[in-house]
Amino acid sequence: MAVSTRSVGRALAGIVGAERVSERPDALAAAAVDGVAPRFAVRPATADHVAGVLALAFEERLAVVPRGSGAALALGRPPERVDVALDVRDLADIVEYSPDDMTATVQAGVTLGALAQALGRRGQWLPVDPPGAARRTVGGITATRASGPLRFRYGTMRDLLLGVRFVQADGVPTWGGAKVVKSVSGYDVPKLMVGALGTLGVLTELTVRLHPRPPAEATWLALFEAVEAAQEFALRLLDSTIQPLAVEFFDAAALRAIPAEAATAGIAVRIGSVEEAVRAQGEALDRIASAAGARVVGAPDGFWGSAAEAVEPGVDEVDLAIATLPGRLAATVTALADGAGGLGSEAAYLTTGCAALGTLRAVITGAAVDAVATLVERLRDVVAADGGGVVVQAGPRALRERVDPWGPVDAGALALMRAIRDEFDPRRVLNPGRFVGDL
Amino acid sequence: MPLTRAVVDELARILGEDGLVLTPEGRLVYECDMHTLYRGVPDAVALPRTTDQVRAVVAVCRREQVPVVPRGSGTGLIGGAMAPRGGVMIGVNRMDAILELDLPNRSATVQPGLVNLWLTRAVQERGWFFAPDPSSQMVSSIGGNVATNAGGPHCLKYGITTNHVLGLELVTGRGDVVRLGGKVADRPGYDLVGAAVGAEGTFGVVTAVTVRLLHRPEAVRTALATFAGIGEASDAVSAIIAAGIVPAALEMLDAVIIRAINGAVGKIYPDGAEAVLLIELDGPRAEVEAHAGRVASICRQRGAITVAVARDEAERALLWKGRKEAAGAVGRITSAYVLQDAVVPRSKLPQIMREMQAIAARHRVTIANVFHAGDGNLHPLICYDDRVPDELERAVRANDELLHACIALGGSVTGEHGVGVDKAAKLPLQYAEADLNFMYRLRRVFDPDTLMNPGKLLPAHPACGEGFRPARPALPAGAWI
Repeated sequence: MAVSTRSVGRALAGIVGAERVSERPDALAAAAVDGVAPRFAVRPATADHVAGVLALAFEERLAVVPRGSGAALALGRPPERVDVALDVRDLADIVEYSPDDMTATVQAGVTLGALAQALGRRGQWLPVDPPGAARRTVGGITATRASGPLRFRYGTMRDLLLGVRFVQADGVPTWGGAKVVKSVSGYDVPKLMVGALGTLGVLTELTVRLHPRPPAEATWLALFEAVEAAQEFALRLLDSTIQPLAVEFFDAAALRAIPAEAATAGIAVRIGSVEEAVRAQGEALDRIASAAGARVVGAPDGFWGSAAEAVEPGVDEVDLAIATLPGRLAATVTALADGAGGLGSEAAYLTTGCAALGTLRAVITGAAVDAVATLVERLRDVVAADGGGVVVQAGPRALRERVDPWGPVDAGALALMRAIRDEFDPRRVLNPGRFVGDL
Repeated sequence: MPLTRAVVDELARILGEDGLVLTPEGRLVYECDMHTLYRGVPDAVALPRTTDQVRAVVAVCRREQVPVVPRGSGTGLIGGAMAPRGGVMIGVNRMDAILELDLPNRSATVQPGLVNLWLTRAVQERGWFFAPDPSSQMVSSIGGNVATNAGGPHCLKYGITTNHVLGLELVTGRGDVVRLGGKVADRPGYDLVGAAVGAEGTFGVVTAVTVRLLHRPEAVRTALATFAGIGEASDAVSAIIAAGIVPAALEMLDAVIIRAINGAVGKIYPDGAEAVLLIELDGPRAEVEAHAGRVASICRQRGAITVAVARDEAERALLWKGRKEAAGAVGRITSAYVLQDAVVPRSKLPQIMREMQAIAARHRVTIANVFHAGDGNLHPLICYDDRVPDELERAVRANDELLHACIALGGSVTGEHGVGVDKAAKLPLQYAEADLNFMYRLRRVFDPDTLMNPGKLLPAHPACGEGFRPARPALPAGAWI
């Protein structure tokens, strides 16, 4: 039975307290998703609040969009409906930090910056470094599987999430995984939650695996006259005993934006270990780079911070995640350059990403929606042969209406995804329409 | 319910004359995995060579509503690859081809019957390896490793099977052949590969696996330290980790095992040694050398009786010898044991070891320990003599108490062996009803008729009509641990 906005508002206030529900136009405008203002902006303070809100949403068939820092609100298709914007940033407690076990349990709204501060005192870290990492929430980077250069060594939240507490679409609080670093009891539910954009549950608490922060670090920047040579270098590096933390590609525009030395392409190799091993690996790296025809320079302090800032998409910029193989890096970058010719004279773009995994990103500015859409489709054709894809991670709503931001998903896999979604959220409460395949 | 003649004929047409085992003595071979107390003979054993044959067999079983039980090499420890309700077992051993090696892109695609170690052998000359290394790796199949999400001594640093699986081909319980994931990272959508690894065959039959290969590290150093007590050794483990060192492997042996090994293969550990730590470091040479020095001094500071660091491959093999002989040596002290695989937070090791001694005393059983100390994954062997009345019962009670103690410390029911029928009834210790319900529903998506390896992984659920023989968690000597 549908009830009026007024009684829904009263019910929400009854669950989270009147001060945590807003229907004021300015608050609703601020909480808009892709220009769609919610009917209610709700800021729960506890996991019980989240459960109560979802139980109500399930009864009333409300559409709920969970959010953390808001950094990824332009990821995915424009929402079908938004009734409740559910802001979990007040779930901000570090519940438990056990340095001896190298694990931490945090609420979903804890920022990576706050967590890094707590862990740094014990020489540990949660090595996930997407652009803007410090402001982003642990729940958000889990739901979006956001990553940065460190994924080469440490993986993504897929590899770091041990346990997860979430509230299902019908309001049932649920736990999956374990609080220890090794567990195979039952299905690996945490894996299912990583990258699911909150469509299977609103994340409330996460237990993560931590790593010791290397005592010494250095970064070398290998600079190349051709992208092919950069790819060759990355492949030789993989076929060596050097164990880098990051092997990050930068095109000429990205190098300029940092700013770093000018070249057609650069690969920044971050090494972390004890000091003598950093030095020894740097020497080995130099030999491989020279053989590949590179000029090698030491990266200045603060290089990775500058690099992250340089490649963080601004408002109205387009952020494409291009997944290919390390052996197809040059072909992909070349295809991007060819396609970018059609973006128009006002447009500019830069390319970065993990050369050793083939996970690239292109940030485009000043281009018309149609031109970008054409580029996305063209790139998809290029990388599809190897099973790659292109995801529009951020960009204007019009672009994500023009092209499917996720791209095609194999029909068999999509049928299973749809069945999972229907099983756990048959009323389409959570993020309706935003995820792959119109889920 | 035995298969009808018509169904048997149909299966034979799909698989060919040599692809179907029907004789009672032939099927008896498949009645259990390494947990030999759980037995269930399949009505037929299918030995397919292709994905299409698997798909066709599953289609017949779905139509006939007959259980399907996948099986790799049968080296599991949980009563997973056996047929408590009969039905058709699909043994994938003939599907053992390497379909693609792509070293530049660090991946391989293999059929599920390929033996774990064979993959590493195929690439080791070029400097590569497949990281998951369960102790059974010389015989266990990659399909089985995927089903149980197998671990191994070196998963402390490298992670377990799921961290190395990029893609799967799966014949689901819905009868479809689906390709999940692949060589390229970051597929949009739900991580169905992540969900399917460790599903123990309850989602369907895995017919191909794409894995990540890693380059061999520059150097490996192995150290062995002996201690006068398990407490000191546990403290050393914590101190090594606290120093920011993550060894590739960090294994512990307790006094019972030490005596058994010394008795079995000659005195390789000194008098007074009540605990042994085996520490393996790998990585860049300079890092390994520096860490080996620190590990040795940490062990000395924590009161080690002896500390040895292997200087070459021969010495390294010698240090591993005791650990590798452990399971066999147990045969000298007991005819049978109950094996545990619970996990505690690493920092709780001293506490759980103390509790374990109290539990052993209370139930008058001997408990031997050889385990992955670095990640808190216990493998206590609770010894019993099945000729002594009530000793098995006492061992089972001690096992239950120990499991409860591990969970009370924030641990897990199983670290790397899996659930199977053995631990299905124990999952409620770790998960509330809502958590288990989520898993039941997830399973139904992949296997709506509950035909795929029924009775495994999840506890009996009245609403699902699930049920299996009461668990008798016991193992003979000589199993892989």
